[in-house]
Amino acid sequence: MDFLFSYLALAAIYVVLGLSTNLLVGIVGIFSVSQAAVFGVGAYIVAHFLMAADPLSFLPALAIAILCCVTLNILVTLPSLRVSGDYFVVTSFGIQLLATAVFTNWTSGTGGASGVPGIPPADLFGYPLESTFQLMLLCLAGLLLACLCFWLIMRAPFGRLLRAIREDELAVAAAGKNVLRAKVSAAALAGGFAGVAGGLYATFLSFIDPSSFDLDASILLLTMVVVGGARTLAGSIVGPFLLLAMPQLLTLLEIPTTIAATARQLIYGLLLIAFMLFRPQGLLGERL
Amino acid sequence: MILLQLLINGLVTGCALGVVAISFALVYATTKIFHVAHAGVYTLAGYIAWMLASHGVPDVLALAAAVVVCAAVGALIQSQLYARLERRRATHLVVLIASLGLLAVMQNILAAVFSPNILQFPVLWGSRIIALGGIRLTYSQLLTVVVCLAAYVGVMWFAYATPLGKRIRAVASNPFLAQITRLQPNAVYVYVVAIASAIVALPGVLVPLDLGLQPYGGITPLLTATIAMIAGGVGSISGAFMLSIVIAVLQNLSLLVIPGEWSIGITFFIFVIFMLFRPTGLFAAAR
Repeated sequence: MDFLFSYLALAAIYVVLGLSTNLLVGIVGIFSVSQAAVFGVGAYIVAHFLMAADPLSFLPALAIAILCCVTLNILVTLPSLRVSGDYFVVTSFGIQLLATAVFTNWTSGTGGASGVPGIPPADLFGYPLESTFQLMLLCLAGLLLACLCFWLIMRAPFGRLLRAIREDELAVAAAGKNVLRAKVSAAALAGGFAGVAGGLYATFLSFIDPSSFDLDASILLLTMVVVGGARTLAGSIVGPFLLLAMPQLLTLLEIPTTIAATARQLIYGLLLIAFMLFRPQGLLGERL
Repeated sequence: MILLQLLINGLVTGCALGVVAISFALVYATTKIFHVAHAGVYTLAGYIAWMLASHGVPDVLALAAAVVVCAAVGALIQSQLYARLERRRATHLVVLIASLGLLAVMQNILAAVFSPNILQFPVLWGSRIIALGGIRLTYSQLLTVVVCLAAYVGVMWFAYATPLGKRIRAVASNPFLAQITRLQPNAVYVYVVAIASAIVALPGVLVPLDLGLQPYGGITPLLTATIAMIAGGVGSISGAFMLSIVIAVLQNLSLLVIPGEWSIGITFFIFVIFMLFRPTGLFAAAR
């Protein structure tokens, strides 16, 4: 039973993260491979404050993490988006590699390659959540809040503005809208989502290390959004649930454990290519 | 003395990086595709040469074979993936995602076949050292400089003096006009990606002679090369090559103050500076 709960909780966390990627890649059309880095920043910050000598409770720690992730994304996107979309590709690769370097090498702050063990479980208003079931409920609550947030944004004029930018940036600018500001706000929002996901991830797994936040993780995220379907809420929910079930299917195939991780990444790559060629809208999405 | 040694090391790395940058720039300026999978081709070249060399094939033949295979792979990538996507009217973003997927596929096939660990080249002469007044260079470093400078000169000659080079530049500057004047841009794209893949095979084989091979090792050089291309000005071959050398030298000199694992930070810092103050690059062609 605990196995099912942790699957649900992880899938919920990845849905929040998928929404963040979907907002950037699907809705606004900015290619990004640095979502996992922002996710990691959120996770490390929450871990830090939960384990500090004078520990904060979960919600304030999460709030700080969200704030940091939002600021980070604004700082990162502002210079390159000013110029061109392709330059942001370089930025996002750079941020991802830089973040991996920081997570791995800044031993005093992040525990280095061996990671941060023993992160305490979350508490809500002084009431500790100890069982897997309770933590799963917390993750599902996070999922519901994030979905509601995403849905409301997409209904609002701001959501229409973002979608219009993807269709025709020039027309939006000509209509007197500030394109750069809209893009940076979308990136900030995406950062916020990633921060929430990171915090939930740290407290749920109670252990984090750089390998969860590297380029491969970003590729996995992109695959989730692409397979589920870009630009829709349903797509971002279906993708993570499907792809997190896949490693279980792979164990049935009896692939030697030494190349299991490689085989998984290989399949994500194949899925990306196949979906782009034959079904760019994913299972439940709209045309990318 | 250590300063001079770092400077020389920077020049060596810079030449290799410069060839990655000009080959990427060739693809980017012509097809407008941000060809992320180029990093996969770069890595593939090293593994092919490694496989042949460890089966006793002469080193020169191994290098030549890597170049030929990479050219073929490049032609396949353009004609089977990018051209298909183009026919389906895929957006820029879709092509980019497909390219990233291809990179993941190439890297992980290499990792599955050759193990994800670092492999050393079975080449004895490569690590032999020449000392020139206190500066130490390995044979493979010297070879890298010579071959990469030759590749740079060759690309310049090819782009400006041969009919195919002129045709490529014509397509790059105006694909629509090239189409109606029967320069066949789609065929040119295949040539360009094939040629770029052949060129990138040179540093792809030579750099690992010193540093060893790693299936995921192509991304950092490619990222640095794209930064050099942007800083040099998109469309300027010499700009990309020169800025690669500048960035590599700065990276090596930074070792005096900052440990090596942060060098990606230095590269990225240079990029941000360019983004803020001169986003069109130093040698941008007039538009």
